[in-house]
Amino acid sequence: MQIFKLFMKVLRKKIFTALIFVIVFVAISIPMAKNSTTEKAFKDTRLKITVFDDDNTPESRALTDMIYSKHKRVDIERDKEAMTEALYFEVTNYVLVINKGYSEKLAAGETDGLLTSYHIHEWFSVVLTDQLLDSYISSVNAYTAAGCDLSEAVEKAGEAVADETEVNYTSFNKQSDFGRSAGGYFSYLPYILISVVISALCPVLITLNKKEVRFRTNCSSIRPSSYTMQVFAGSAVFVSAVWLFIMVIGTVFIKGSIYSGTEWLAVLNSLIFMLVATAMAMLICSFTPTENVLNIITQVLSLGMSFTCGIFVPQSMLGAGVLSFARFLPAFWYVKANDMLCGKEAFDSSKLAGYLLIEFGFAVVMILITLLIHKLRYNSAKPAVRSRSSELRAQN
Amino acid sequence: MANSVVKIDNIVKRYGELLALDHFSLDIKEGEVFGLLGPNGSGKTTTINCLLSLLAYDKGDIEIFGKKMTPVSYDIKKKIGIIMQNVAVFDELTVYENIDYFCGLYINDKKLRKQYVEDAINFVGLGDFRKFYPKKLSGGLLRRLNIACGIAHKPKLIILDEPTVAVDPQSRNKILEGIESLNRDGATIIYTSHYMEEVEQLCTRIAIMDKGKKIAEGSKDELKRMIKNTETVTVEVLGLTQSMLDELSALPHVYDVKYDGQKAVISCSGGKHNLIRILDTLQKKEVSFGRVYSELPTLNDVFLEITGKALRDKED
Repeated sequence: MQIFKLFMKVLRKKIFTALIFVIVFVAISIPMAKNSTTEKAFKDTRLKITVFDDDNTPESRALTDMIYSKHKRVDIERDKEAMTEALYFEVTNYVLVINKGYSEKLAAGETDGLLTSYHIHEWFSVVLTDQLLDSYISSVNAYTAAGCDLSEAVEKAGEAVADETEVNYTSFNKQSDFGRSAGGYFSYLPYILISVVISALCPVLITLNKKEVRFRTNCSSIRPSSYTMQVFAGSAVFVSAVWLFIMVIGTVFIKGSIYSGTEWLAVLNSLIFMLVATAMAMLICSFTPTENVLNIITQVLSLGMSFTCGIFVPQSMLGAGVLSFARFLPAFWYVKANDMLCGKEAFDSSKLAGYLLIEFGFAVVMILITLLIHKLRYNSAKPAVRSRSSELRAQN
Repeated sequence: MANSVVKIDNIVKRYGELLALDHFSLDIKEGEVFGLLGPNGSGKTTTINCLLSLLAYDKGDIEIFGKKMTPVSYDIKKKIGIIMQNVAVFDELTVYENIDYFCGLYINDKKLRKQYVEDAINFVGLGDFRKFYPKKLSGGLLRRLNIACGIAHKPKLIILDEPTVAVDPQSRNKILEGIESLNRDGATIIYTSHYMEEVEQLCTRIAIMDKGKKIAEGSKDELKRMIKNTETVTVEVLGLTQSMLDELSALPHVYDVKYDGQKAVISCSGGKHNLIRILDTLQKKEVSFGRVYSELPTLNDVFLEITGKALRDKED
């Protein structure tokens, strides 16, 4: 077990960067996953809103009360410059002026010139507030047209818009117990798996394959198969430990209990992606990059895949061009599988199996390319290696 | 007669069109310090790689310790130690851990290995540095660590490929003393070097290689006897005339006289009292002279005469 022990000793010296990745990942992903939106956490958006009532009638006061019941009241100075500043610095999001003559016009069934609003951004909550006001005015008009007097119409319209709409998230996966928080945690895994495996495993493999020490090892009485097996065992122990650690962290801090049901499929998905990351590390090592180049490769691959495959940005928000490109990257299929398990896509076991198989295929292809590179290098490098391998084949 | 430790019989190795080893043979006996000399590209490293079965050859046979050497001859490999020119240690391991690792490639028994590692550390004088990492060691100490890693398992055959390149004189002496000591303890040594004085000091037998062929083999004295030059006399002298030079050239056993206006270099082949005869001739002609040197041929002279080039005149 000399080689295995050596692997672990070298790993101890090289693991620092990987540990930083893991610590940062755990520190960021757990709070993010915990704070991700869940069904129970749904709330109406509340704007910071300012109302100036120039009409000062019971009807205008009713409107003011209705608005403040739904949004947060912010009082500012009635001055154009102060209003602009408050809107710019987001002290308030929406300024509504109830114009003089509001009640009279409302009673007359007029809709123009009742209100004046000021806001900077056309964001969705502003649009919703405009819709609320339109709805309120329309309701008042409807009730007055139906024969109600103005005060009664205002009261009924206020009751109508006060009704809260019950919101339910639609999940394609009805039987799923795979929470959104756990889903969020799993969705970030490719980034950390790639970063940790490449930044820790590659330097160890490169050190072990340093030309001079490899020569000395080849001259020794250790069998090549034993050497390979021990290096493989070291790599397997390391990547398994990383994967297990991340799974345990997910269980303890995100889930609070042992994984169950479809969560095991997410665990399987992450295990396959760990194989992908390991194969990727082996492929990179076959080019024996320097430490600096390795750092660049790690960042390019981990961040590149994270941004193009839907890890940091949901796939639904990515452009068609980006998604077409991402299909050629394993993380894309990991995210597809994870999204399905999260309920973002209708659960289909055969489709899921397809996603997992494509991921696994990436791992197999990368391993085959690695072997091919080694073979090509054997053929093009110093004949010592080539001849030795051919002699070994002959002897076998 | 001592047993053969290494027997290379008529091996041929081609790299495509290039003939790297051309019917090369060697017979190294037990207890010898065998020097393998040759310029870069002469086939020394190819010979060593073939010897270690890291390289297959096209023709011939290699036997080590009386058995045919193959890539899977692990029992033979156990008895071989390698010390290459480039330092082959792990920067991530301490001195002790490095030696322990390389020793562990041969010795499984932990207790025995511990003893062997301690012996190796003491042998190369790295006792005070056992917890140091290689990056903290000087060039000389690093070479010693490299040697310790190669000999910790107490091999019977040790192959040293230019182990003293870029080493300070103190460390070089320590290394050479170490090699002599290993040999006294029973190890057979194969030593390649560009430093003739080292080869002269260490080796009991020497083979000179060029272009994949063995062009000479024997002890130092045997090799020196193979060449024409037996003595070179150098005389610092001013104003020698052509007639004087002709007179010196006509002396018995003198076969070459070179004069640059300041010193005359007179090459002799065989004979005795060459120096006295030369000085007598100069005195008779009342030629005053300064310092006088008489030098016996070195291996470099042997090499120069046999191969037609200096050992270090060409780099890869």
